[in-house]
Amino acid sequence: MVVRTKGARCRNRAIFIRKFPKNKKENMAASTTSSFPTSQEGVATSSQQNLDAITDDDFEYVDEEFVLSHSAEQQAQPEPMIPDLFKQPSLVKDDLITATSQLQDQTVEHCLPFLTGEDGPLDLNDYGLPKLNREKHIKFLKQSLGPLPGRFVAVDASRPWYLYWCLSGLTMMGEDVSSYRDSVIETARTMQNESGGFGGGHGQTSHLATTYAVILAIALVGGEEAYDVIDKKAMWKWLCSLKQPDGGFQVCVGGEEDIRGAYIAAVIITLLDLPLDLTPESPAYDGRSNLLTGLAEYVRSCQTFEGGISSQPNNEAHGAYAFCALACLAILDNPRRIIPSYLDVPRLISWLSYRQYAPEGGFSGRTNKLVDGCYSHWAGGCFPLIEACLSPSGPGSEKNKTATGLAAAPESLYSREGLIRYILCCCQDQTKRGGLRDKPYKMSDPYHTNYVLSGLSSAQHQWDLDSDPLPLPNGDTTPSLAALGADSVWNVFPYIDENDQIYEDSDRVRPIHPAYAIPQKNVNAIRAYFQGRSGFASTLGGE
Amino acid sequence: MPPKGKAATKPKATETTTTSNPTTTNTTSQTASQPSEPTTVLERSQQRFEKTRPFEAARRQQGLSRLSKEDQKGWICDQLLHLTNRLPAASRSCLLGPKASKEIWWTVNGTNSIVRGLKHKPEPYTTWGTDRNGHDVGSYTIERFDERFRKRIALTALQVSSRVFRENVEREKRGFVDARSGREIIVTEREIDEEKVRRSKMAALKKDLYGAITGKLAESVEWEDVVPIPHEEPEGALAAITYPAEYAEAMSYLRAVMTTKEYSPRCLRLTEHIIAMNPAHYTVWLYRAANIFALDLSIPDEIEWLNEVALANLKNYQIWHHRHLLVEHYYPTISSDPDALAQFAKQERDFLIAILSEDTKNYHVWSYRSWLVGKLGMWEDEEELKSIEKMIDEDVRNNSAWSHRFVLVFSNPKYATPGKAATEKDEKVPQELVDREVKYAQNKVYLAPQNQSPWNYMRGVLVKGGQPLASVQGFVEEFVNKLGEGEEEEEVKSTHALDLLAEIYAEKKENEKADLCLRRLAEKWDKIRGGYWEWRRKCLTQSETEKAPGEQVEKAEEGIAAA
Repeated sequence: MVVRTKGARCRNRAIFIRKFPKNKKENMAASTTSSFPTSQEGVATSSQQNLDAITDDDFEYVDEEFVLSHSAEQQAQPEPMIPDLFKQPSLVKDDLITATSQLQDQTVEHCLPFLTGEDGPLDLNDYGLPKLNREKHIKFLKQSLGPLPGRFVAVDASRPWYLYWCLSGLTMMGEDVSSYRDSVIETARTMQNESGGFGGGHGQTSHLATTYAVILAIALVGGEEAYDVIDKKAMWKWLCSLKQPDGGFQVCVGGEEDIRGAYIAAVIITLLDLPLDLTPESPAYDGRSNLLTGLAEYVRSCQTFEGGISSQPNNEAHGAYAFCALACLAILDNPRRIIPSYLDVPRLISWLSYRQYAPEGGFSGRTNKLVDGCYSHWAGGCFPLIEACLSPSGPGSEKNKTATGLAAAPESLYSREGLIRYILCCCQDQTKRGGLRDKPYKMSDPYHTNYVLSGLSSAQHQWDLDSDPLPLPNGDTTPSLAALGADSVWNVFPYIDENDQIYEDSDRVRPIHPAYAIPQKNVNAIRAYFQGRSGFASTLGGE
Repeated sequence: MPPKGKAATKPKATETTTTSNPTTTNTTSQTASQPSEPTTVLERSQQRFEKTRPFEAARRQQGLSRLSKEDQKGWICDQLLHLTNRLPAASRSCLLGPKASKEIWWTVNGTNSIVRGLKHKPEPYTTWGTDRNGHDVGSYTIERFDERFRKRIALTALQVSSRVFRENVEREKRGFVDARSGREIIVTEREIDEEKVRRSKMAALKKDLYGAITGKLAESVEWEDVVPIPHEEPEGALAAITYPAEYAEAMSYLRAVMTTKEYSPRCLRLTEHIIAMNPAHYTVWLYRAANIFALDLSIPDEIEWLNEVALANLKNYQIWHHRHLLVEHYYPTISSDPDALAQFAKQERDFLIAILSEDTKNYHVWSYRSWLVGKLGMWEDEEELKSIEKMIDEDVRNNSAWSHRFVLVFSNPKYATPGKAATEKDEKVPQELVDREVKYAQNKVYLAPQNQSPWNYMRGVLVKGGQPLASVQGFVEEFVNKLGEGEEEEEVKSTHALDLLAEIYAEKKENEKADLCLRRLAEKWDKIRGGYWEWRRKCLTQSETEKAPGEQVEKAEEGIAAA
């Protein structure tokens, strides 16, 4: 971690390096207690706070000799420290030119000036990175929540997504969004249908995607009044009508069945503590099955020969669906048990790792496709879940013994530096507009702003799964009787790089739950509220 | 209608109860006779009302029991008079006998009541209704109210003319003859133009007066019977869109017909209208499909229409689910006819080829195509494989095409065991198929060795066929030379070869060699995946002491199953 003196300007100045004690775990614990009052709280966000947080104890670790030699080196060599990996086109290249290679080369060409800092007069730090332009991004998201001009008709069916993307992005950047509670309540009411679920707006059919977005927006603003908007009983009935005999879910009545449906259903069921019983009207009703029956099997059927996950069986592996698959499984049961039981983990890790490109540093969604900021979350956000699945079980178990039989994940399975570089250099719209984007020369939008920030958050944090798999009820082999994973205890730590931290401390955004994609405290609050109201569940017997 | 007797006894009853405290003696008509100048139309009407009922204001203020006996009598007579006035003339005499009537008139004449007055007391909101902003029209100033009134008259006049025009159109259609002139009725261009002007004026007036939805639909005769449901959203709703008038209007009609579950040709046209403005509107698409099925319209016609829309909206994805629904519906009608089926499959493929040439990796198109292969049973269709090969030839890096090929070859029910995962070995897959596909991939690797698609494909084929990765060791080694023999000497034409080589060595328990591959990837050839290569190396050392990763996974699964 790099700590600057208050007056330090960006380049060519001496910096203080805080070196960490040999035992990293100990240090991580120390930093956890200082900047994380509880493991689930957000990270201190302003640089001032971080500077103030440095006590004399911290300076014990300063290696003065290193600082001096480092600063001398800096003066002699004013170039920012950017590894060649991110400055040059990839080492191994083919001569054959096709449409794919042309687009790829063009993208690299577009990204390189941003990665090396040649583009524009931006203030860069010693590692060649611009700061996270919080103010502009916050302004951009707030504007996106306001009245939108007529040309936004194209997103008329996605307005709930705007609520979630903007509120989630603002939350990650440290804004208090509870002031939006009343407007979220009012907006959500017009989107809810009497037959259960939320549509894209007044009079629109209920859809799982829009319902997911509304529920997460409600969870983000919090408060009983907001939770009460949700008609839980109608929601349950509606979900039952979407459940299919093969275990998956349709996204709306008469709509397609895909893995988004599987993930979103798992999220809704566990956040709202819905009963698992199926209504006799459900297409999946057979007297034995429940809402979760066959869901993990459905996820399994979406893994492709490449190792990645597709939207439906027999399609191409795609980053967004990989996240849906892993997050769905992580909600159904402890990732240590369920992920290796249903997915080919080595192939999945291989495929996920190949989503990261150099020199861009960002992730792509599919083999031979281009990097895109949103995959910072869809692909990047898979790693906390993968790392949890590889992590050795808790104390008492054999050291380094993982449930998969595979080696535990190293400090980082992917290049966090690459991703952070791509995000800060290439994904920020540095014009007056603000917001984050797919790649240079693309327009920023709330979707990319949120998912790029989610990816940044995931790259800046480390999650520790603090619970061992619970015994399955009744000796079942599939977690169809209860969503056991939803109760998993996750602890979050700021990720401390072995080497220097390349970004400013003030650029750290807040952590989000690896499966629910909102802060853990919001997950806990909404679950606690609905678990405390068991009235509906107990009346089900008479249904 | 109150019975005669009761009406007659009522005044008596009140009389007896009020005689004990006669507190007020002043005539109430005096208080009502000094009205201030009315500012609103409601005030004016209320004043008028009170003028015709001299005792009403006093009764309201003080209560009937506190009025003087004469005032009470006057009020009661007033009430009776207004009550009888509301009845048809013939039944008036039935209510009261001639004697009673005479007495009432005598009293009324004495109090200067005005017989012809407002029947009901004007109340805010209920009497005049609200305007388009929800304000009480009664609260309007006199001037403003008059202006509104003039507008209403103007609208009525226009509506009458418009009706005449429409009737004429109808007459023209049926070839009616004008009774006076004896000539056939013809609607002239000028009349049509006039009607257009009239319609826009009517729309503007309706919007002004009632906030009614205006636009093409509101002006159209076809939609006259539908009461649109306007967009309802509280002020300050988040991400609210300032809808263009045309879209807002169409959506309000959509809400109305969806609520009544109407399925008709006009609904179909409405969906087309909305789709043209917002093709990402899943609700409209689902409703469109429902209309087509309810009206039993021709699926091929709809598909033809859809082709145009799809080409104009390449990134749209609702289109593809719509097509999916259409085919699901259409399939049973052709499933028993192999020729029709083949013909339909060809048509679909031709269109898919056309659209994929515009957007070669469109996820939704490929998803649809993969589903279609299963639905229409195109597994053995040589044309399908050929067309994929053509796409791979055009761009050997098109991973979507490679993925489709894998599905086409290995999800074929002839060779695929149901329930097998894609990364699982399947005994049913014949050896020659594996050989053919491995060979195909290898030929494509030669074209561009760093292209990952055929590498992934080849590895996938080997696993499906249950063949050791080492069976391609010779091929893979072609792309890696002098590994670990010095920076200058070492040559790697493909990092994917190096990756696969590491797996082959690990499979053969040559862990040192495998480790060298992984180390060189991390140190030089593929540094971005440093963490991943490190993990793979850890897996190697772990497997040295224990067993191979693959076996471990199986063992772990068994353990779970047993738990």
